[in-house]
Amino acid sequence: MEIKTTGVAGTLESSDIQIMVSKGTNGIQIDLDSEVVKAYGKQIKKVITDTLTKFGITNAKVKATDKGALDCVIAARTLAAAQRATETSDKPELEVL
Amino acid sequence: MDKVVDLYLNIASVKTKWQTFLTGLGLHNFSERELAVIDHTLGLVDETGKLVGTGSIAGNVLKYIGVQNDDAHPGARFNQIVTALQQYLFSQQIFHCFVFTKEKYSASFSHLGFRELAHTEEAAFLESGTPDINDYVAALPQVPDQKNKRVAAVVMNANPFTLGHQQLVAQASRENDLVYVFVVATDASLFKTSERMKLVQAGTAACKNVQVVSGGDYLVSSATFPAYFLKSPDELIKTQTVIDARVFKKYLVPALAIKARYLGTEPFSRTTNFYNESLKQELEPEVAVQIIPRYQVNGKVITATKVRQAIKDDSLSQVKEMLPDSTWQFIEANKKILQDRIKKGMKINGN
Repeated sequence: MEIKTTGVAGTLESSDIQIMVSKGTNGIQIDLDSEVVKAYGKQIKKVITDTLTKFGITNAKVKATDKGALDCVIAARTLAAAQRATETSDKPELEVL
Repeated sequence: MDKVVDLYLNIASVKTKWQTFLTGLGLHNFSERELAVIDHTLGLVDETGKLVGTGSIAGNVLKYIGVQNDDAHPGARFNQIVTALQQYLFSQQIFHCFVFTKEKYSASFSHLGFRELAHTEEAAFLESGTPDINDYVAALPQVPDQKNKRVAAVVMNANPFTLGHQQLVAQASRENDLVYVFVVATDASLFKTSERMKLVQAGTAACKNVQVVSGGDYLVSSATFPAYFLKSPDELIKTQTVIDARVFKKYLVPALAIKARYLGTEPFSRTTNFYNESLKQELEPEVAVQIIPRYQVNGKVITATKVRQAIKDDSLSQVKEMLPDSTWQFIEANKKILQDRIKKGMKINGN
């Protein structure tokens, strides 16, 4: 999947996560900001990476601002951001979730 | 649940309500020049229709953010309004934004993923999104073994590029291995950014160790230093120049191994004078600040302001001796266009 633009999904409200996906050249690089980064940072990054990989993205820069989102929310926001970044929102690939 | 609504400040009653709300929260600066740059304003209203929060956008800068928290979960309204402002920016394909705020609010923005770039006792400057300052710095050209080279920086608006600018760069070029010339990127001057960039490139082409680059959003930009482009009270200029100097020192200096910054003395511009003082105070001793006396031709100090005045007055021959050939030819060829811009209201007495 080719990233064509910057894609964002999610909000900064409680229990949500904001994910911004843009072009990258060096694998999937995640810049994560979360109050629970010590306890759940690894897991959050894993969900983001897995979702992007399943979607077919191998290179991307991701900025994630977490406000205590559950894994299912993280995956859904990541997919939505990835579809916007690849300009494929009109044919959602929900099986990635 | 609170609702996000658009506030149209061109409606007098809306503006009064908005201003009263912010005044109640301790925001007092509603000067014309601050309000004129606002593109869009959002409000947050509770179930009863009462205004409980607001925020505005000017370009990619968040402004006038205020929420009333008495009857809400702390932070919830702030998060909601900042999210809504960001969504608005995203819908305009703007993925990178700044906020210039009181120091005490820096932490609130940090919780929302903003990165603090610099602060003073009063003010803080933060950014969010992509590309960020690290992307900007990483994209600047470097030479091998730069750490051990003598590297200098010059920041200029070059509106337009004069012999004064040229000699300042030439001196830095002689005294260093590598010189970065950062051209102010904000397009708010008589000469457009692309034109200023070309004139600087042409005027410094003879110095092989000079790299002409854009100052991006970080060096004397409308985000870091709006007062540079607008007449402003002293206190505000001081704060902004300190912030600008600190961003330079924290991000540019270590990444590029900059050891000196060259400036011209500033006999005419009050704002630039403040800026020079702040730079000296903030950058030394780690970065040597070289303040070079203004160059003169035939006893006259060279200044871009005079050149712009001559364009307006159609008396170009008076300033020919102040300009490198490349700038002179550009002005001659584009005199009509430049004069039209002045006629249409472009200010020429600023920087």
